[in-house]
Amino acid sequence: MSNIVETHSARKPRIFFFYFLLGAMLLTLAGGLVFRQLFRSTLYSERERLQNQRRVIVPGPRGNIYDRNGQLIVTNQPRFSVTLNLGELGGEFDRETGKVAANYRSLDRSERPSYAEMTRLARVAVVQRYLDQTNTILGRNNQVDSRILDRHFAQTRLLPFVLLDNLTPQEYARLIERLPVRSPLQVYALSNRFYPYASAAAHALGYVTTNTDPPVEDFPGEDLMTFKMKGTEGRAGLEARYDEHLQGVAGGAIYRVDPAGFRVDLPLQKRLPEKGHNIITSLDIDLQVAAEQAMENRVGACVALEVKTGEVLVLVSKPDYNLNDFVPRLSTETARQIEESGAWFNRAIQGQYPPGSTFKLITTLAGLRSGAIDPHQSRTECPGYLMVGNRRFTCHRHSGHGERDLVGAIRDSCNVFFYTFGLEVGPQLIATEARRFGYGHPTGIELPAEFRNPVVPDPAWRLRVRNETWNRGDTANVAIGQGDLLVSPMQVACFMASFARGETETKPTLLHIADRPPLHTTPIGLSRDDYNTMVEGLEQCAQIGTAKFANVEGLRVAAKTGTAQKGRIELAWTIAYAPIENPQIAVAVVLEGSEEDTNFGGGVFAAPVVQTVLQAWRDGHLKPKVSGVTGR
Amino acid sequence: MLPKRFDQARPFATLGAVLLAWILVPLAVKSFARVSFFELQAPFIAAAAYVRDLQEFWALRLHPKDELIKAGHEIAGVIAQYEFSQQELESLRAENVRLQNLLNLPPQPAFRYERARVARRDLSGWWQRLIIRKGANYGLVVGSPVVFAGGVVGRVSEVYGYTAVVDLITSPTFRLAASVEGDARPICYQGGLNDSFKAPRGTVEYVPTDIYASPTSPRLLLTSGLGGVFPTGLRIGRIVRLETSTDGLFQSGEVRVDERLVSLTEVTVLVPLETEDL
Repeated sequence: MSNIVETHSARKPRIFFFYFLLGAMLLTLAGGLVFRQLFRSTLYSERERLQNQRRVIVPGPRGNIYDRNGQLIVTNQPRFSVTLNLGELGGEFDRETGKVAANYRSLDRSERPSYAEMTRLARVAVVQRYLDQTNTILGRNNQVDSRILDRHFAQTRLLPFVLLDNLTPQEYARLIERLPVRSPLQVYALSNRFYPYASAAAHALGYVTTNTDPPVEDFPGEDLMTFKMKGTEGRAGLEARYDEHLQGVAGGAIYRVDPAGFRVDLPLQKRLPEKGHNIITSLDIDLQVAAEQAMENRVGACVALEVKTGEVLVLVSKPDYNLNDFVPRLSTETARQIEESGAWFNRAIQGQYPPGSTFKLITTLAGLRSGAIDPHQSRTECPGYLMVGNRRFTCHRHSGHGERDLVGAIRDSCNVFFYTFGLEVGPQLIATEARRFGYGHPTGIELPAEFRNPVVPDPAWRLRVRNETWNRGDTANVAIGQGDLLVSPMQVACFMASFARGETETKPTLLHIADRPPLHTTPIGLSRDDYNTMVEGLEQCAQIGTAKFANVEGLRVAAKTGTAQKGRIELAWTIAYAPIENPQIAVAVVLEGSEEDTNFGGGVFAAPVVQTVLQAWRDGHLKPKVSGVTGR
Repeated sequence: MLPKRFDQARPFATLGAVLLAWILVPLAVKSFARVSFFELQAPFIAAAAYVRDLQEFWALRLHPKDELIKAGHEIAGVIAQYEFSQQELESLRAENVRLQNLLNLPPQPAFRYERARVARRDLSGWWQRLIIRKGANYGLVVGSPVVFAGGVVGRVSEVYGYTAVVDLITSPTFRLAASVEGDARPICYQGGLNDSFKAPRGTVEYVPTDIYASPTSPRLLLTSGLGGVFPTGLRIGRIVRLETSTDGLFQSGEVRVDERLVSLTEVTVLVPLETEDL
């Protein structure tokens, strides 16, 4: 038997080679590890963050809108929904997919649905199971819309999936009492815009539409994949003009998700949404409602301003629409009805109307300032018409007014008087006077899409725009507010307010400030006597003249009516202010009419609306005021 | 003979094997085992409660006869008062039913009243659950409302042969549709995290912003009856604090519930006559 002796030497060169090789490999690994840990860790952690974190944004509710007396006119109303947190159902989906796959196992491979289709079926089955829970509680029979579910799952998986929306208080109560507290099914309150006065001041307040990309400020994780819950966006009126101010501050959360996109653990960061700022408008909702009721179903506009400050008390445009119809979204049928009725159009600021006889006050002002009219001496004999060249310009009283001085001409709205002195004053001075009172440019009210191109015609305008020369007939037309003159009801109301203050400009505003300083603009430029003569004419007009239906007992009213034509449409105007001794409210009303065989005069149709507004103002103007402009 | 090292590790190996076996046991078996274990305990729980009742009985027997007679008289007076109130309630109930019929309101759930003694209350879950000494043997069903003289106690969450578990109004897993006295709008009441023996509290959510409450002028919180489980008008507690949420839509706040809940000895289970009422 031979003795085999194993010998081992640690110094054999071949072993050294392996030591070296092993050492080199370990060094490479360690080096790689060090390199990745020290130099690439930021990059990898950033990649990991982007891959595994998701941001969910919840928009903040909009601020409220109040009227000048503190009455709530736009607010938010909760809308209760049942939602399902898909993020918690990853395991259930997997198990259900397994069951679906097992059901198809007996089929030939070619006949089996794809794995993606099976997961989709499983998803619908699981969600339907949860929906059936609520169906049982509420006695409903709702079915999951698989297309909506698929879209939600693909795009906004981390957001709660709305199973049932717009629950009644009874349904909401049943669910919170019967659903387990710890369940993926939850009762959720969404914020809806609510307009307690429905269609009142619809054009001034405006409406909101759904915004799928609500603004986010100072919330970290801009680079993360973000899911945003739907917000709202002002699309008309004050809702649009002050959208930024009314918008709430978005809140949200950052979640860690698993590779399938399901939520893991509690949020890494969370911020609650905050409500937007409130707005106190200058509108007086009681006056507004009174004006709208007085206008009944007629087409037209009504604007009332606070004389001293230019704050808009009333802004009516008819026809209008129910603002609550826009919540949560406007139906196609309602949109079509609004379109057909022409209710989208805000006649108060976008309407382009010839001002009719209300413009005679501008002609008077031009005449008095130029000296063409003497308040006590100027008179005309009205036979019912005036021949200008070979054209016959009629008065609205075809039998004639007889002799009229300035007061009588204003009171009875005698066309012949204003033809005569308008021709004496000339088109240029009339146009200049109109522009002094703001007829040539927009009023600048804080509403989108105000009528931008009002027309105050003069010879230069006619030549530039129409390439025609001006004639005396054009002057006669302009003197009584006809022809190419185009103004908006808001401009006319501003003129009335300016005149009432004895000044030339009124900048209207829809925001209320309790201690807003009174407006002080360029004085009207008339002597006290001239001014008082005009006021006397207006007062008589309201008492016994064409505007007698605008008169209000216990209130000294100055008013002027007007009638004009725009194509086939007749326009009935009345403008007024009150009280004469201390002017506080100015009103302008225009109504459109197209009834045949009806004398659509301002004194008959528009004056009663003015009367209603002034009565409502008289009854309510002693209400206590609310101070402050905005606040959360 | 097993190596010594393995012999020493045998308890751990056994424990591991049992745990592994338990993990592998089907869910139904586990559930059955858990229920059986509870049922096994039930006689002991009930016996302990009876012994406690006996203790109380003998403690009362130690009182002088004069005192007992006096107490008997007082109780007779209280009973007479209750009988009178009951008569009044009957006429009010009839009037209520007449008005409900007149307004075509849906009928309120009808109940059978089952009194039950509190058998056990764990220190660890003092404000979360208690066990009562009646169960399926008295026809109790899961979800039945449980009340006492001070209002709502909770809801039956588990029913066994001779006992039942009541989920207390102060438990965070308890939720119901409530309303503030004098206001019909439903709001959400939920129990909170309460420390044992401290004053119990709950929370309210979705409270309209025009409702006010403060510690100096608390508002009474009642069951709304809209949820369909609890009848209308049962007292839950008093709202002592309300705060507007950051989104301005609602208020949430704190509710102080009846402190007598800490020492409950007897409750009444409202067993619905129609089980679909739950």
